[in-house]
Order: sequence, then structure tokens, then C-alpha cells
Amino acid sequence: MGEQVQSMTAVGDVVVSGLNVGKTFAAGTVVALEDANFDIKRGSFVSLVGPSGCGKSTLLRLISGLIEPTSGKISVHGTPVEGPRPDISMMFQKATLLDWRTSLENVLLPTEINGTPSKADKNRALDLLKLVGLEDFAFSFPAQLSGGMQQRVALARLLQTGADILLLDEPFGALDEFTREHLNTELMRIVSEVGATTIFVTHNISEAIFLADQVVVMTSRPGRMAKIIDVELERPRPLSIQTSVEFNKLVLDVRETLGEM
Amino acid sequence: MSDRPLPLSFRAIDLGIRILPHLIIFAILIGIWEVAMAMGLITSIMIPRPSAIGGSIVELYITEGTIYRHFFITLTEAVLGFLIGASIAVSLAVCSSLSDPFRRYVTPYAIVLNVTPGIALTPVIIAWFGYGMGSKIALAAIISFFPIFVNTLTGLVQVDEDREELFKSLGAGNTQIFRKLRVPAALPLMFAGFKIGLTTALIGAVVAEFAQATDGVGVLMSRFSFQLNMAASLATLLSMTLIGLLLFYSMEFLDDRIVFWRREGRRAAASRARSKAWAAQARK
Amino acid sequence: MATQDTISASAINGSALSLRNRRIAKHIGIFLALIILWEIGSRIGWLDPLFYPRPSNILRSFWLIYVANANVWFHLYATMSLVLLGWILGSVLGIGLGALVGFNAVLRRFLKPYVIVLEATPRIAVAPLLIAALGFGVSSKLAIIMLVCFFAPFINTLSGVMNVDEDRLELFRSMRASKSQILRKLVLPDAIPVIMAGERLALTAALSGALVAEFIQRDKGIGSLILVYTRNLNMSSAFACIFTLTILGFLIFKGMEKLDHYIAYWKHEDGRERMSLKRRRKIGGHSDV
Repeated sequence: MGEQVQSMTAVGDVVVSGLNVGKTFAAGTVVALEDANFDIKRGSFVSLVGPSGCGKSTLLRLISGLIEPTSGKISVHGTPVEGPRPDISMMFQKATLLDWRTSLENVLLPTEINGTPSKADKNRALDLLKLVGLEDFAFSFPAQLSGGMQQRVALARLLQTGADILLLDEPFGALDEFTREHLNTELMRIVSEVGATTIFVTHNISEAIFLADQVVVMTSRPGRMAKIIDVELERPRPLSIQTSVEFNKLVLDVRETLGEM
Repeated sequence: MSDRPLPLSFRAIDLGIRILPHLIIFAILIGIWEVAMAMGLITSIMIPRPSAIGGSIVELYITEGTIYRHFFITLTEAVLGFLIGASIAVSLAVCSSLSDPFRRYVTPYAIVLNVTPGIALTPVIIAWFGYGMGSKIALAAIISFFPIFVNTLTGLVQVDEDREELFKSLGAGNTQIFRKLRVPAALPLMFAGFKIGLTTALIGAVVAEFAQATDGVGVLMSRFSFQLNMAASLATLLSMTLIGLLLFYSMEFLDDRIVFWRREGRRAAASRARSKAWAAQARK
Repeated sequence: MATQDTISASAINGSALSLRNRRIAKHIGIFLALIILWEIGSRIGWLDPLFYPRPSNILRSFWLIYVANANVWFHLYATMSLVLLGWILGSVLGIGLGALVGFNAVLRRFLKPYVIVLEATPRIAVAPLLIAALGFGVSSKLAIIMLVCFFAPFINTLSGVMNVDEDRLELFRSMRASKSQILRKLVLPDAIPVIMAGERLALTAALSGALVAEFIQRDKGIGSLILVYTRNLNMSSAFACIFTLTILGFLIFKGMEKLDHYIAYWKHEDGRERMSLKRRRKIGGHSDV
């Protein structure tokens, strides 16, 4: 891995931006998200954190193109988002693997949908499975894998298309703490190797700070972006950093922002 | 207050509005069929005209009222057959769930009964029980046995380990666990088995009637068919549908009432009933 | 120490094995004892041969119909050829219509009352009507079989097609999959286990349908055989035929089970293992690709 991702923008440029983005449901009675403004630089890792109903998942889906904003605009790589697109790849809370396909075939699914997978694609899929530590399970079926292993396959599938913008919606929420921490470390490693821009949704404050360069704190009723906190901790980050003073200052900052509302 | 069911008049009107489009489409289809035959587009004598079918229905149900006796007989055959089959099936299933050796002895015979098409026994059953209602009831009982047996047994034997642990931690004995945990937990599956059993009992009754009988909608339909009176035959088939619907919805009703915890409306009603009972008891 | 452990371990294993064998032996023993009592009761004259045909006579009937007269083969073929043909045709129709209705909400709403009515009617009851309309012979028999085994595949396909997991649909949408791709790569494989379940029900229904048709037409087939033997009060031969159907039913049961493990492989442990191996061999490691 480590190949540079093709992109029209240079390092440090803004790749995802949103202007006055809002989303309402049920003919305007439910305001899921209101007045969101953001500029995300290439290669950065952004966490969206907040309680249920703060609109973080909605914002992610708006960026992915799965739903449309009721107000405002979102652009990716300079072009407006009009639906799911090849330069964006998304991972969900449930692994959602197809149980009649092997791990390898599940990883190849996005490539299959966009044409016939070439030998290079298949090799890439195997490499990705090796990356997430599942090369011995390439030909196993989801029913034979644990929850954590299934999420790892989903992670490999996320990376298969080589999209440089990765959206992850609470992918490790259903896992136990140890598996989650391990996967978080792996995720950071992979993402920095590949040079991708990552947006990560979670309700876990520690996880949000641990992973990100910037933490977007969101509050609910109505869903809005309350504060953007820069995380200037060193990289690569060991798990022990969660006990440091700087880390806990950041945790306090997030909690106070949430407590204010 | 908000979870009380709406008054009957509201519900009736709502039902009427929902049914209307279907009635209109049905009327149109019947109309096209009738016109096509009147114009001579469909000439086969095997296909009756809707008006002829309608005429038969009027004759059977109103003017001559021949259908009622046969309707009642087939209905009785199905219900009695079901009751007998269900009683035996449930008893055997309960015994099997309580005693492993018993289950092991019964299972091979149950499997044999399952894989053999029950319908194949029809001539033998008639030779044994004669031409009257007895053979119809017997066939219905035999055919309805297995689905009820297997569903009840599966329901009683399934183990929710967490719940078992709870009961044991409360010091419950085996009888209590059976009565208060296994039986209620098995009810949904049992009723699923009952529904299948009731349907198959009707099939058994009707098939036995085809073979040899004097009374019953099966016989009536068979007779009309071989007299080539297709209109009357179809009219009789409709009454079979009515029996089927009657049986099915009766069982649905029982299911809904007895296994009340599966539907929100029933749960709310049960909650109200119990809180009333509690209040009444507290006042004493 | 090690030898003692191994000895006791094998003793436990040995006794576990013989426990199972002892149980099977007990079952067989009780069964044989019942048969022998039955035989004796019949010979003494306590048991009416109408209700309790003598076991030795049943065995003799088996010999007659399978070997000496060998008439059962002809009738088995007559029945099963129609059953299989009707099953396949009825299933194709059921699955096709089920898929069609499953994808079309308007059609579904329009057809709903008719499906409810069809479900409540014992479909086998239409047999005399079809025989009267289409005449005695193969066509009415086939029509009855198809009618009887149409329903389960139809309902199951309908359900399978409609109940696709929302999360999976979202996944496919996020990958910009076309409608045809969603159909081929998601809906269809997802529906396969449910459809297979319907097929098994359909085959058993088809056999019953064939028997009823034969009871009415009385020309050939196992059903007709049973009818004729019973009419002649030849109960032992009638029972031999019924037990033939038991064996047939068992073969159908096992056959469908095997088919299910093959087609809906991912739902069964052995199917998964087999497919894993097969796919591994097909794709292999990096160098083969």
C-alpha cells in the first residue's frame, strides 16, 4: 500500500466543504441538522461527536450523497454532491456483509458493481485483507467470523475502491472495548498510509479525540455544530495518550461544550 | 386514553373506504367476463358465466338453501378432526418434552407419519370407518396431527437459557418452570401449528368426501362437476372458501387473545384489564 | 499416569458409543417385539385382518409388487413422472409470478384480496372440477398438481423479494449500484433460502395432489393401486403400497435436504466449508490470480 491517491487538489487544500447545510424530515417538523458550515482539508481526520439526535449521522449521509440537504450546499473536490460518487466511500455501523459471499468476494463487491474486477483488483482485495489481518479468512463466510472480524472485512471493503474520502458511521460501536481500541489504532495507521481524508462519526468522546485532527462537537435539538476543537497531539498516537493531561483537557473541553446546551 | 381502539362506527367506515377500490375492480372484472361470454368471445362450456354462478349461489343459499346442511357437515368434520388430532398431538408432545426416553421412542414413528403423504391413507380410512362422517373426521385428525405435534414439541423444548437461569435463581421447581415458562413461551409456535393443522384438517375432510360420501361440500362439488354443472360447482367451491376463511380467522382470533402479548392493541387492552382487576382487588 | 488417563478416556468413549448402540438396539427390539405380537395376534385370530393385516402378508405383498408381479414400478413411474413435471412447472410459475408481484406495489395491492381468498381455499378441492373440465387423463392430473404446488413457491418468493434488509439496500446505493445489479447481486441470492423452503412444501403438495387425482381417475399410479387393493380388501398389498410411499417420502425429504445444502450453502455449516474450499481452489493465492 502507500500509493498516493489520485486527486486534483494539492496537499492541504479543502476537499470537502459545506455552506449553511440543513436537513429537515417529515415536511419540516423534524430539524435533524441546522446551519452547518465546514471546510475539511485533504488528508485530515475529522471526528463528529455528540449525543443521539445531534445530526452527526445525518451530516455524514448528506456528504455521502445518500440524502439531499433541504438547504445549503455541499461540495467534494470542488464539485457539488448530487448522489453517491466514486471518490467517496462509506462504512456503516453494521458490517452488512453478504452472507453468501466469502470475505474476498465481499471486499470485491464495490469493484464488481463498477465493472468486472481485474486481476489487479483481486490482488488488491487480498492485500487489503492482509492489511486488516484477515488473510487466512479470505475464503471464509461471514457466519464463520466474529463481529470484530466482520467489521474488519467491511473496513477492507471500504478501502477497495481507492476513494480518497472515507466516511465512517460509528463502525466500531457494537464491539467490545479491546477490539474497538485495536481497530482504532489500525484505522489510523491505514488512513495515514493511504493518505485519505477521513470523517468519523461516534458518540464516544475518547474515541473521537483519540482518532482525530479536529473534533466537531455537535449538540441536539436542533442538531448543530457547536464547536470545532483542534487536536494537536503527536502522531502516531499510542493508546496511552488517553491518560495524558492534554488529552483530558480536550475531553473536558468537549464535555463543557455539550453541557452548555 | 390514546391507545383505546376507535369506536366501531369509525372503524367500519374506514374499512369500507379501504375495501371500495377492490370492490370496484372486482365488479369491473366480473363485468368484462360476463360481457365476453355474452358476446360469444368465450365459448367453452367448461367456463361458466358469472351470471350463472350468481344464479347458483342464489339457488344454493337462498331459494333452495341446499348448501347449509353440507356446509355444516364439512365444517364439523374439519373441526372435530382437528380437535382430535390436536389433542393427541399436544398430549404426545407434552409427554415427549417432559421425558427424554418417551421422546426417543415416539420420534421415529412421528417421522414415519410425517414423510408419508397422509392423503394416501384415504381409501384405507374409508374401508375402516365407513362412508359416514367418521372416516372424514379420522382422516382430518391423522393429517392434522403432525404439524401440531412438531410445532408444540419444538415450542416446549426450546430453551431460553437466560430465562431458565432466572427461574432457577428464584428457586422454581420443574413443574413451575414448565407451567410458568415453557408453556407460555411455546404458545406462539403452538398456534402456528394449530393454524396449519386446521387448514390440513379441512383438506382431509374434503378429500375423504371426494372418495365416498353423501353429504358435505366436497361431495356436492364433486357431484356438480361430474354433472358438468360448472356454475354450481364453482358456487360450491366458494362455500369451501368460506369455511376456510371462517376456520382461519377463528384461529387468528384465538391466537390474538391467548397469545396477547404480540400485538400492541391486545397488550394495551390486557394492561387495562389487569389494572382494573388490581384496583378492584385493592378496594376489598 | 498418562496411560491410566488414556485408558479411562477410551473407556468413556467406548461406553458412550455403546450407549447409543444400546438405545438403537432397544428401539429395534421393541419394534420387532410389536411386530411379532401382531403376527401372533393375527394368526390366532384376535386381530381382524381388515384393520391389522398380517405382517408376514405385508412382506409377501412387498415381494409380489416389487419382484414377482413387479407392477409397482410402472405405477411409481406413472405417478412420479407427473409429480416431478408438475412440480417444476408449478414452481416456475409460482416463482415467476411471486417475483413479478413482489416488485410491483400496485399489482400487490390489487391482488391482495384474491391471494387471501386463494390461501383460504383448499386448492386440492378443485380436483373434481378440473377433471370434469379437462377430462380424464394426463392434462387434468398435471393441472391439479400444478395448481396445488403453485402456492407455496409464490408466497415464499413474494416474501423473499419484499423482505430485503434495509442496511444492505443502503450499502448498494452507496456503491451506486444499478437496479439490475441490486436485483442480481442482492435480492435474488437473499431470497434463495426462502424459495428453497417453499419448494420442499411444493413437492410434498404435488405428491398429495397426484394421489387425489388418481383416487378420482382410478387409471394408474400408486394412488390408484392403493384404491384398487383396498376395494378388493387386499389390505396387505394396500399397506405395502403405503409403505412404498413412506420410503418415497423419506427419499424426497433427504433429497430436498441435500439440494438445500447445495443451493443455499451459506446457511449450513457443511455447505460453507465446502464452498470455502471450492472458492479457495478456484482463486488461490496471489500468483494464480
